[in-house]
Amino acid sequence: MNNTTQAAKYFNGLIAASQAASVIINEFMGELHIRTSNGSVAIWLLQDLESNDYGPIMEIRNKKYPAAVLKIEDKRFAQQFYNTMKQYKRADIHTRLLRLGFSKITAIAIGLFLLIAIAYIYILPTIAEKAATLLPDSFDNKIGELFMDSFVGDRKIDSTKTSYLQAFAAELDLKNKKPLHFTVVKSKQVNAFALPNGQIVVYSAIIDKMKNAEELAALLGHEASHVNQRHSTKMLCRNLAGYMIISLLFNDVNGIMAVMAENFHQLHTLSYSRKFEQEADELGLKILMDNHINPNGMIRLFEELEKENEFQLPEILSTHPLTKERKIHMQQIISKSPYHTNTPIRLNDLFEKIKKLNSPHDKNASLQISTTNYKSIYNMSIKTKILIRATFHLNFSYLSNKIPWTRI
Amino acid sequence: MTSENPINQTNQNYQLEFFGKGSEYFSIMIVNWLLTLVTLGIYYPWARAKKLQYIYGQTALNEERFHFSGTGKEMFRGFIKIFIFYIAVISIFLLLMKMVSTLAGILFFYLAILSIIPFAIHGAFRYRLSRTTYRGIRFGYRGDRHLFVGYFFRWLLFTVLTFGIYGAWMAMNIRRYTHSNIRYGDVAFSNDGDGGEFLVLNLKGYILSLLTLGIYIFWWQRDLFNYYINRMRMIKGEQKIQCYSTATGRAFFNLMVGNLLLVIFTLGLGTAWAEMRTLRFIWNNIKMEGNINLEEVYQTEDEYNDAFGEDLLDFFEIDIA
Repeated sequence: MNNTTQAAKYFNGLIAASQAASVIINEFMGELHIRTSNGSVAIWLLQDLESNDYGPIMEIRNKKYPAAVLKIEDKRFAQQFYNTMKQYKRADIHTRLLRLGFSKITAIAIGLFLLIAIAYIYILPTIAEKAATLLPDSFDNKIGELFMDSFVGDRKIDSTKTSYLQAFAAELDLKNKKPLHFTVVKSKQVNAFALPNGQIVVYSAIIDKMKNAEELAALLGHEASHVNQRHSTKMLCRNLAGYMIISLLFNDVNGIMAVMAENFHQLHTLSYSRKFEQEADELGLKILMDNHINPNGMIRLFEELEKENEFQLPEILSTHPLTKERKIHMQQIISKSPYHTNTPIRLNDLFEKIKKLNSPHDKNASLQISTTNYKSIYNMSIKTKILIRATFHLNFSYLSNKIPWTRI
Repeated sequence: MTSENPINQTNQNYQLEFFGKGSEYFSIMIVNWLLTLVTLGIYYPWARAKKLQYIYGQTALNEERFHFSGTGKEMFRGFIKIFIFYIAVISIFLLLMKMVSTLAGILFFYLAILSIIPFAIHGAFRYRLSRTTYRGIRFGYRGDRHLFVGYFFRWLLFTVLTFGIYGAWMAMNIRRYTHSNIRYGDVAFSNDGDGGEFLVLNLKGYILSLLTLGIYIFWWQRDLFNYYINRMRMIKGEQKIQCYSTATGRAFFNLMVGNLLLVIFTLGLGTAWAEMRTLRFIWNNIKMEGNINLEEVYQTEDEYNDAFGEDLLDFFEIDIA
């Protein structure tokens, strides 16, 4: 096998015409000898060689003389040459993998894909939460300020109600580690949300729906728990990590798969969001009980929400669990835990005041931050958006849309 | 051959073919994907080299294959350069935003990206062609960077001043300049695309596409393809080759709709097959007629090695086809 002469076609890299040649591999010397029909001999070192297979034809090239080509049409020689080259470690990892054949490559790819999918579903949330705990509190504040303007929009602030709501919250132990700011904005939407910097915004319509102080306390307990648990930051970490995995996985493959993966990622994120909502419900309920407020306030709050939202998205498409499910879950906890209620009278007084007030529009009031501050935050957010887009090619709205604490 | 006919003036046969197979290309893409994944993306330039090597190797003229000798290492170096360039642009952008104004920063950012385009086109032609060989003879690009960058901005200015109308001339001027500077050994390429003709072609395509609710798009594509190809020729002394296209609107329809269905119904996995179909379509529809003897071409082009432009094109996804 070794040292047999092989017929070949040789392009010398000077003229396009080819010459007939004979080739011998000398494994012992690590050389390839080429003798052309006009009698000249070239010696190529095996360590310099590269080959390409095109069906039955193999082309051999020398890195030292990149233009010259040796063309050989013989399967047996091609195999011998490949084996020899493997000894000289000239077959790169790509070629070796490709040689495994279509089915083995596909099997490896599917295996790796599944491994990553499993890591994504089971390991990523834990790591992301760990990462979130490593981030300083100031990060939460920055993020909160960033999203403030886009969430509040041009809704007017009810400053009188706001001050009463603050007094109301001051009567409660919300188990907060950082100062919370409460604001009432005028809106017909029945809603409330918490931002990671401790801003809790309550829409006037939801207060109008409420019948007693317990419901308002339940609402504040729920929102405060989002802040206390740093849900936004955890979500952001998870989203970023998930997004990075997806772009790594699919960037170079194709668009459709990437879109599908992104959609799956969003659905999966929603389930994570529902988990956080449930946690906020449970901790909110605990806040009520620990403050000796009737925990049924939470139930009645959900009942009001149920009346408001007759139509609800299927749970799988929603950031929140179904209100009915939330109510049942709360009822189950209440029935199992002993509690005694002693709602402070002052809470009831304040609640009545918030309810009855019908204060006039405050035209230029802004959210506890002065106008100048507000403007600079607005500017910063534009800058940050551009910066993030430019550096990471991330779609900023993708992130902001995925922060689900825009609803109670 | 008799001595009365020292220069071979008889017409030669030329046949362009593409042998690429979807399954083979798919395997390459899968291996690329695996390696890119386990190297956290660093393998990307090597993956790109593998793809190009396959595509070039499957393209043949008169049963001899083309070869792309560019390597992942070269492209990786190019990639690093782009990365440094990018970091520099971003830093200046940030600095301007902090020190001057947001507008100045944004303006700088877009200007920087815009000004890199002619360098990218030049670099890509130079690198890509210097790495292409056929029958042991190198291709090459002889365009002058300084000159081309100057032209580019002049044409760009005209385009802006004419509210984009000059864009047709700009596109053809770029094509004429770059293509006329391509060499294959001692064979020179030439292109005589004309901006006016190109504009009329596009206006006609646009209006008819509107009137036919988009159906004419395939024929518009055919017209563009034919125009690009029919304006190409190769010259070697007295000898020449003229290119012409045999593509039809119907064939373009089959190609484009077929590819769309192929990609959608395989959830994108069919992309490899669609790409091979496209290349087969292109090479099967380019015909050459002339009297240059492909065996009598001599090596003339030097080696060149800088993959900066190659990566830039990919980075900004500019199409030079």
